[in-house]
Amino acid sequence: MTKSTVIFQPSGRRGRVNSGVTLREAAQELGVEIESVCGGKGTCGKCKVVVHEGFFEKYGINSRLSNLSPMTDSEKKHLKNGEIASNYRLACASRVEGDVLVYIPEESRGGGQVIRKAAGELDVSLNPAIRKYFVKLKPATLEDPEGDLERLLKELEKTHGLRNLKIDYPAAREMPEALRKGGWEVTVTVWQDKEITWIEPGNSERSLGLAVDIGTTTVVGYLTDLETGEVIEVESMMNPQVPYGEDVMSRITYSMTHPEGLKEMHRAIIKGLNKIISKVTKKAGVEARDILELAVVGNTCMHHVFLNINPEYLGLSPFPPAMHSSIDVKARDLGLKANPGANVHLLPIEAGFVGADNMGVVVATEPHKQDKILLIIDIGTNGEIVLGNKDRLLSTSCATGPAFEGAQIKFGMRAAPGAIERVKIDPETREVEYKVIGDAKARGICGSGIIEAVAEMFKAGIIKKNGNFNPEVKTDRLRKDEKGQYEFVLAWAKDTSINKDITVTLADIRAIQLAKGALYTGCKILMKRYGVDAVDKVILAGAFGNYIDKEASMVIGMFPDCDLDKVVAVGNAAGDGARIALLNRDTREEANKVARKIKYVELTVDKDFQKEFMMAMHFPHMKDKFPHIKNVLDRIPG
Amino acid sequence: MNKEELLKGLREGVIEYDEDKVKKLAEEWLKAGYDANEGIFEGLAAGMEVVGDLFAKNEYFVPEVLMCADALYAGLDILRPHVKVDKGKKKLKGEVVIGTVEGDVHDIGKNIVKLMFEVAGFTVHDLGKDVPLDKFVEEQMRTDSDLVCLSAMMTTTMVGMKKVIEKIRAKNPKVKILIGGAPVTKEVAEMYGADGYGRDASNALTEAIKMISSLREMRREDKI
Repeated sequence: MTKSTVIFQPSGRRGRVNSGVTLREAAQELGVEIESVCGGKGTCGKCKVVVHEGFFEKYGINSRLSNLSPMTDSEKKHLKNGEIASNYRLACASRVEGDVLVYIPEESRGGGQVIRKAAGELDVSLNPAIRKYFVKLKPATLEDPEGDLERLLKELEKTHGLRNLKIDYPAAREMPEALRKGGWEVTVTVWQDKEITWIEPGNSERSLGLAVDIGTTTVVGYLTDLETGEVIEVESMMNPQVPYGEDVMSRITYSMTHPEGLKEMHRAIIKGLNKIISKVTKKAGVEARDILELAVVGNTCMHHVFLNINPEYLGLSPFPPAMHSSIDVKARDLGLKANPGANVHLLPIEAGFVGADNMGVVVATEPHKQDKILLIIDIGTNGEIVLGNKDRLLSTSCATGPAFEGAQIKFGMRAAPGAIERVKIDPETREVEYKVIGDAKARGICGSGIIEAVAEMFKAGIIKKNGNFNPEVKTDRLRKDEKGQYEFVLAWAKDTSINKDITVTLADIRAIQLAKGALYTGCKILMKRYGVDAVDKVILAGAFGNYIDKEASMVIGMFPDCDLDKVVAVGNAAGDGARIALLNRDTREEANKVARKIKYVELTVDKDFQKEFMMAMHFPHMKDKFPHIKNVLDRIPG
Repeated sequence: MNKEELLKGLREGVIEYDEDKVKKLAEEWLKAGYDANEGIFEGLAAGMEVVGDLFAKNEYFVPEVLMCADALYAGLDILRPHVKVDKGKKKLKGEVVIGTVEGDVHDIGKNIVKLMFEVAGFTVHDLGKDVPLDKFVEEQMRTDSDLVCLSAMMTTTMVGMKKVIEKIRAKNPKVKILIGGAPVTKEVAEMYGADGYGRDASNALTEAIKMISSLREMRREDKI
């Protein structure tokens, strides 16, 4: 039987399936959930998917719509003409006849993702970039026929001391009507004491902003009250650019190899953000035009594509960004459906691989204000590390790959219902206890789950320091797969929703070794350059940092030894940074200064890189000692 | 120790990544007056072949292979200066140009493959990393190498390989071109017109080790 490769996005699950199976069956086989109300009979039309065509360098497949069986009548019934033209199909009716890359749109995805990017409390003084001023004007008369704007400017100067204001075009258009509708009483929005960006009739106190974190995988928007600093609504979604590539490099490649690539990805993210805007405003009972200011963070590639700036040069050594400094753009110029005068502030960029998202982390954790030496590790699809204190700061980026997010792992999945997120293994019996997200049977393992599984396997002597399985271990959970490779069973088929044993394979362990080795090497080389053997505090950031077990991450050696009490997980610090920049304009200036002070270190050109990386791939390390978890390591059998 | 024991020790030293052992035995090998070339091929290289097998079977991972390579280098440094060049014999040419393409600064994988070529007796012209694309073409012309090896660890830089291949082919259609690196697949190799590929470090390594095996075979049959 011939086999074809099917890749499902945004989950990234892929595999070879027998030709002739439907996309729905292929999805089930690969553990991907697609909405299905009718059970695959072609009657509900809920399982809409999109085929992305073209040669995908990263996967080495040539995805074609013609690699699926011809469109059936039931599909034609359920799909709109626009959808058919955009390569939409029903998963239950399309049979696989060749390689395809299939995107499952948000609405067709079964089981919601648990987005771990909730908004926590922030400690920030309120001083947003925009302020609203209420003014009463004397109506124009034949004796005093001065123009509306001049009349307004005079009053703003008289009552609020605002001088030399300019007016933004949409506000100018809005002005005459607003003045008359409000009986010459209006609320004026002024940006940075410089520009009138909006005018509303009467007294309107509501002042809303949107903080945005564009992650490579997940995009989050925080609708924020600029008067109180409170987050009113949070909405997140998969980054709609995922179909163009799972990681930054493959997206840059996509824009290099497709003439319209940049434009397509730019449009996708703008469309996605507009969806977020429409959702949060609807939930909050407000209008999109109530959003008067936006602050955005994202890695350098996300930043560039969001601005429709060519990211090509980020992908090639020496990886220079188009700009370091922060930038302010009108939302309307980007096609964002916020207030027509709204400004979008993008945080500054440290280096090609240390972007505005890491700057957000710095703004939120403030290493530049501390005496103590901090080691800040932001774990995402890329790992970014900042080391130092008020005197000096270094940063670097390491290619951890997506293993920590559950990708590249045989039974890996994102943090969604059914994902194993906590694992304990009894060192005597080697029996496994695990916790699954949501009220569901186990379906796969998410990032925090795979880290704990590997740490627990190491602690129980099931895997050795070098990552190899220890064949001496007696348990029926340790066995060989069809290719003769060892694997360890976390969950037996009967306890899963996929009717398959969920295992951790040697290849999974290798992926974790590479990822954690990269992080450890980054920390170590920065510490060496800085001239310190130990740090005072370790901050784990990243949507995933909140949920990661500190001890487990040290047991596998993701970072050098440190008092566990001095290790803190701060969650999505990049998003917090965006919120802070939204609420306090002074932090923006400060961020610009700090960004230029942080010195970027390129790891791969360090003469010790290869040696350090090699040693860091062992659990927890080939040579370095871990006195703070000595009691844990000493208990390891064998 | 007799000759067989010394060879066995050299092999084990490489496999167990015991640099000191390899150094000590390489010295002894020379002191006993044995042929340096034989020590390299039947000792060090044979050990590395086993390492490749262990790697292919997933028993060794990158750290172990790199340590084995260090042990092998330690032995090579001692034995290589004593290799006699026998001009009477027909010599397999074996020259290779290797490098990481422009825009890419990753070279761990490339260095392993380079080592394999050296072990196999090739003359290696290593251009290093972040090599301008035209430099590969020039170096191939200058050295008249039979083989060009291009490495890229990022999808963004892999795209550049296509241009290099086209340029080399235009100048010299007979050259064999191998490409490798994390993002390289069989389909990419075919599309770019390469003669061979190493899917990742493991594959490149396995391929390179196979090459050593066939060279050792040829040597035994006295063809080199």
